[in-house]
Amino acid sequence: MITDEVGTFSDTVEEAAPVEACTKCTACNTVCPVARSTEIFRGPKFLGPESERYRSQPEAAVTAGLDLCSGCKLCEVTCPSQVSIQEYIRRAQNKGAAEKGRTLRDWVLGHTRLLSRFGSMTAPLANLGNRNPLVRWAMERELGIHHKRPLPRYQWLTFERWFKRRPHNKRARRTVAYFYGCWVNYNERRLGEQVVAILERNGIEVIVPKQQCCGIPAVVNANMDLARKYGGENVRRLSGLPADVDIIASSTSCGLMLKHDYAHLLDIPGAEQVGARVYDICEYLWMLHEAGELNLDFQPVTTRLLYHAPCHLKSHGIGYPAMRLLRLIPGVQLEEVDEGCCGISGTFGVKVEKYDLSMKIGSRLFAAVKAAGTDAVLADCETCRMQVEHGAGAHSAHPIDILARAYGHG
Amino acid sequence: MPDTTTGVVVIGGGSTGAGVLRDLSMRGIDAVLVEKGDLASGTTGRSHGLLHSGGRYCVNDPAAAIECVEEGRILRRIARTTIEDTGGYFVSVSEEDLAWEPRFVEGCAKAGITCERISVEEARRREPALSQHVRTVFWIPEDGHLDPFYLVMGNVESARRRGAQARTYTEVTGFIRDGNQLTGVLTRDTMTGEETSIGCKAVINATGAWAGFVARLLDVEVKVVPVKGVMVVLSHRVAHATINRCHKPGDGDIIVPALSVAILGTTAVKVPHPEVLPIEWDEVRHMIEEGSLMADGVSTARAMRAYAGVRPLYDLGAEAEGREMSRNFAVIDHEQRDGIAGFTSIVGGKVTTYRLMAERVTDLVARRLGVTTPCTTAEVPLNDRDDELDQLRHRPAQLGVPKPHGDERPLQPLVCECELVRPQDVAPWFEDAAVRTLEDIRRRTRTGMGPCQAAICSYRLAGRLVTDRHQDGPTATRAMADLLETRWRGVRHVFWGSQLRQAQVTAGLHLELFNLDRQLMLEKSTAPAGHFPPPSSLPPPLAGESRGGGDTPDPVGVQR
Amino acid sequence: MKADIAVVGSGLAALVATRTLQQAGRNAVLIWPGLSSLYFTYATVDVLGYSDLTTTQTVEQPEAGVAKLIADHPNHPYALAGLDALRSGTTLLIEWLRAAGFTWQGSLARNLLLPTAIGTPKPSCLYPESMAAGDLQRDEPIVFCGFVGYEDFVPELAASNLSRSWGRGDQSVRAIRVSLPGFDTSRLFTSIDLARSFEDKAFRREVASRIRREIAIDSVRVGVPAVLGLTHDTDVYSSFAAEVGHPVFEIPTLPPSVLGLRLFDRLRKHIQESGVEMIWAAPAHEAEVSDGQCRRIYLKSAGREHPIDARAYVLALEDMVDGALRAGVHTVVDPFFHQSLAHHAVPTERTDESLFRPQPFASIGYAVTDRLQPSAGHGHPLARNVFLAGGAIAGYDPVGTKSRGGLAIATGYRAAKEAMAA
Repeated sequence: MITDEVGTFSDTVEEAAPVEACTKCTACNTVCPVARSTEIFRGPKFLGPESERYRSQPEAAVTAGLDLCSGCKLCEVTCPSQVSIQEYIRRAQNKGAAEKGRTLRDWVLGHTRLLSRFGSMTAPLANLGNRNPLVRWAMERELGIHHKRPLPRYQWLTFERWFKRRPHNKRARRTVAYFYGCWVNYNERRLGEQVVAILERNGIEVIVPKQQCCGIPAVVNANMDLARKYGGENVRRLSGLPADVDIIASSTSCGLMLKHDYAHLLDIPGAEQVGARVYDICEYLWMLHEAGELNLDFQPVTTRLLYHAPCHLKSHGIGYPAMRLLRLIPGVQLEEVDEGCCGISGTFGVKVEKYDLSMKIGSRLFAAVKAAGTDAVLADCETCRMQVEHGAGAHSAHPIDILARAYGHG
Repeated sequence: MPDTTTGVVVIGGGSTGAGVLRDLSMRGIDAVLVEKGDLASGTTGRSHGLLHSGGRYCVNDPAAAIECVEEGRILRRIARTTIEDTGGYFVSVSEEDLAWEPRFVEGCAKAGITCERISVEEARRREPALSQHVRTVFWIPEDGHLDPFYLVMGNVESARRRGAQARTYTEVTGFIRDGNQLTGVLTRDTMTGEETSIGCKAVINATGAWAGFVARLLDVEVKVVPVKGVMVVLSHRVAHATINRCHKPGDGDIIVPALSVAILGTTAVKVPHPEVLPIEWDEVRHMIEEGSLMADGVSTARAMRAYAGVRPLYDLGAEAEGREMSRNFAVIDHEQRDGIAGFTSIVGGKVTTYRLMAERVTDLVARRLGVTTPCTTAEVPLNDRDDELDQLRHRPAQLGVPKPHGDERPLQPLVCECELVRPQDVAPWFEDAAVRTLEDIRRRTRTGMGPCQAAICSYRLAGRLVTDRHQDGPTATRAMADLLETRWRGVRHVFWGSQLRQAQVTAGLHLELFNLDRQLMLEKSTAPAGHFPPPSSLPPPLAGESRGGGDTPDPVGVQR
Repeated sequence: MKADIAVVGSGLAALVATRTLQQAGRNAVLIWPGLSSLYFTYATVDVLGYSDLTTTQTVEQPEAGVAKLIADHPNHPYALAGLDALRSGTTLLIEWLRAAGFTWQGSLARNLLLPTAIGTPKPSCLYPESMAAGDLQRDEPIVFCGFVGYEDFVPELAASNLSRSWGRGDQSVRAIRVSLPGFDTSRLFTSIDLARSFEDKAFRREVASRIRREIAIDSVRVGVPAVLGLTHDTDVYSSFAAEVGHPVFEIPTLPPSVLGLRLFDRLRKHIQESGVEMIWAAPAHEAEVSDGQCRRIYLKSAGREHPIDARAYVLALEDMVDGALRAGVHTVVDPFFHQSLAHHAVPTERTDESLFRPQPFASIGYAVTDRLQPSAGHGHPLARNVFLAGGAIAGYDPVGTKSRGGLAIATGYRAAKEAMAA
């Protein structure tokens, strides 16, 4: 209850802390991909709201088994009471790690950006190493990264450096700031190039502010302090943008961090105002379309495609704008495949003790993809793409890739 | 000839009676406790759980405060499992509070209560829940939470291990006398109606608010004034430590973190009868408002239920308001006062001083019986061991997670997920003759005491009534329904927000999915509502087996 | 975001409304604020189980029962939706279930009596094939089979109750337990773990043989907890029944509800696969109305309030649990139009003293016009293009009469039809 005056218990709608709203319906446990695939995970209901009642007492902190939570947030998306289950799990996990110490792997995976930077600087060598069985064996032994998990290729030329070298189009009716994320910067520069090309094709100037890792690898590897540090930097820089400049993200999880987690999970000051200006790239393009401003000069792209909506996209609460956009392109045959979580969930499926589980979680998706036999599987999230390629042997791309082709930008 | 004979019959299964039973048994005196409801179902089980440092009494009732200090220290030695050392804050919110402070400080000093003034900033650092209205803060390390159920059960189990008996749902209907000497007690099982007699040398009336009713059976007057107190339970702890208002004791001036919940208390309203305890909306509202003055969490918390308890205030003569009467206790030697040998009453007091009350009355009775063994209840731990036993806050870490994510243990099942109750916590109670309703299981294990108020665990408990206690389906179903109904009675008073939504889920499960409302209409069970007989009685034939008799009785359980 | 017709809701009413719109060629957007908490009550679809709240006499013909109810209670949500909506909606649902790969059975003509997890007969008229053999209007004796170490289904309890209310002579209802291969009984296992194990052929075969060994009687049927497979299409039920060699039927029990999971998972996927966009995780509120039309509602999406501008809206929220209504201490408010729907000076007035009697709060909801538009009680719509379905309608209390599914279908269908015409 929010009281209007001191000591008065007035009649307003209850605004209890989200965790107290749990009514034990257990819907979260039925959708949790981990709980569905293994019997050693108690599930979001217990590790979230039920355990949370005990966490204020130090001895009662439940930290064992929390790392089995993959962070997909399907529990939150399903909860009729809007309990932010996964946030409570993350905080507890973070607290446990802070007390008991983090592992080397936690550190490495939390510092994805550093890793990627190193990989990018040593690009041809790093990529060779990541495919070398001996190196992978050592990695599995020392770092706990499963030897079968394909690691992303690094590119020597980063998106950031590429963008700096380009001429800039100053004559534009709108400006957006592009939050490219670590993946585009170090692993898939081409995607970033396509995003820029598409925006410029729509008369939009793209600026690329200096940015830090969005912090989600740190959050899910029990290092919220690091995530807060990264997020603080990002919020500071993005807050400095002029008020009419919107912020675009092409990675689902980066976008969710900026929109929501910076404010709600990490309590970063100023994050809410920044979050209100953040859009997923497809979300933004669709808004342009509804305003009559989207360049509809598409070349046909004849292709049969499947769309796999990343779990985190569901948390955005915007539907699937990528599908709406692609249906505007002549020649595109697009169907959704909804077999739940692909299983990788960011760094979760990379870990040696979780690899098999991640492949099991995604098995229905892999089977459906194989059966569909389409030209590609589209997903807005880079780790989903990695997982689908690995598990289903199918080609996977960001929806932007098709749009770029429709604009003639190969 | 009485059906059983013992040394002393203790009437009353609250903290006092349980403490007396233990003390008697430790002095080698045979004793039987009789309680007309369940253990701890009267005043004790409905207290707010504050382990009094004495701070609340030190100004107006210094003698009571000193008793609290001493007994609190003893309880921390002997009853570790029942206590959570939360410490406590006394906070000032208003001008009147500020005026009270010097008296409070002085009172603490005189009573030997450790009291430390700390800055509001420091207090908020330790206890973020403190409200913005707080102006002064005192830290009282010896405030805490005393779980009344663990306390009573602990005392009774301690006594049982030494050969004592405790009979629940056994009401005293009269006495057997030989001239002026009491020689026995007449009892009636309140569920089956079965009548028994117990021969004894002495009777101790430890029935608290009901002391007058028992005394009346002997045409003797014991004037106890029942004073009702309403409490509101919030579904989470709100604060780490207790929070008290630093003022003249009044309504709604305590917040007690009680294991997994927080209890806001309380009011003081004289009532005509200890079982007439209406909960008024104004009282509920007042608890929450007053609590909000002290802690921020209160105004935004999920309210879980409200309940009412009754204080047994002993009228030491003057006609006064509820709180102003002394909470000190009195041993009434009826041989001296009323010429009835073998009858003693112990009245007044509070849960925190139960052990001392028990000691005093047991001293008197033991002396009369010629037993010189001294009281050792202050030295020997309740559970007879010195180790730190399983407490609720340790439970989460014990639940097991398989390697490599945790240790080797597989995930442990839970009967009640809200309160982390495992099968091994409930199983023994199903074989206990004193357990006759599912509420009795609730009191002993905390099953059903969480936010969902038995929505899920009630089915599992009903199942065990059939499989472990060999009851028939209708008995088990009715017991399940009764558990849900008693939970409902408390939920109704806080019927808004999440608890209202919870009720919808509960109704969806039990009334819609299980069709429980129709089951209750359909069954034609002869079992009285909600309870089940002790395990030594003949189990009814299980479904599908021959109904024509011929089943040999299964001697399930042990009548301790 | 612009939309043709926006459907808000997470239960059967919202799904039926969406499907109705889709079949009529309209573009529907399904806004899903979470899975309706009562997904576990939709193991079967109950249209009308009892004609009033005190009788134990079950309704034999649900459609006829609803017709009579409508005649007797012209303001009941069934009356407002109309018998035609119930019929057409049911036909639509049955066809949809088939198209989505389910093998549900039943019709409005006849209620089955299916035993619940506490052994009480319960009337239902639409049910999964895997529950059909439990019909108590059949004569074969019943064996309830539980699993050692699984506390969420107690066959002994069910058998003891059912034998008294249904039992026909000796041996007509009994209980057995079998241990499950590979299951350590001292550890936790949920209905989801069981359902997953049942998808394994070797596991099924072994469990079936253990059951056969316990039964040793020819003409019994076996009731098991509803754990026969995690998804609707794994054919676990029929292959298991074949292995057992007796008719088998599933019984829904404590959540997590595998039956609910199968139903909602597949219906949701099917509707998305057939082109309906679903917006997850977006609780809806705040209707902007001008000139009697709702122009916009808002979704609480990540980062900001997400506007939905639709031609028409179907608000098919289930109940207070999923936010159809917000209950403060004294006042129940609707989050779209901010009406005060009910006011109680004392919260206990919202309840009956007994949990097992009808509750005043259950009937709180939006007053509606005869076209299911929200009306604030004066007969004129608050917005001409908004239509209500499901639990948000005042007077919708399905609990005592066991009519949740039917009310959801009828109001969902009717609201969709009206939305199309708006």
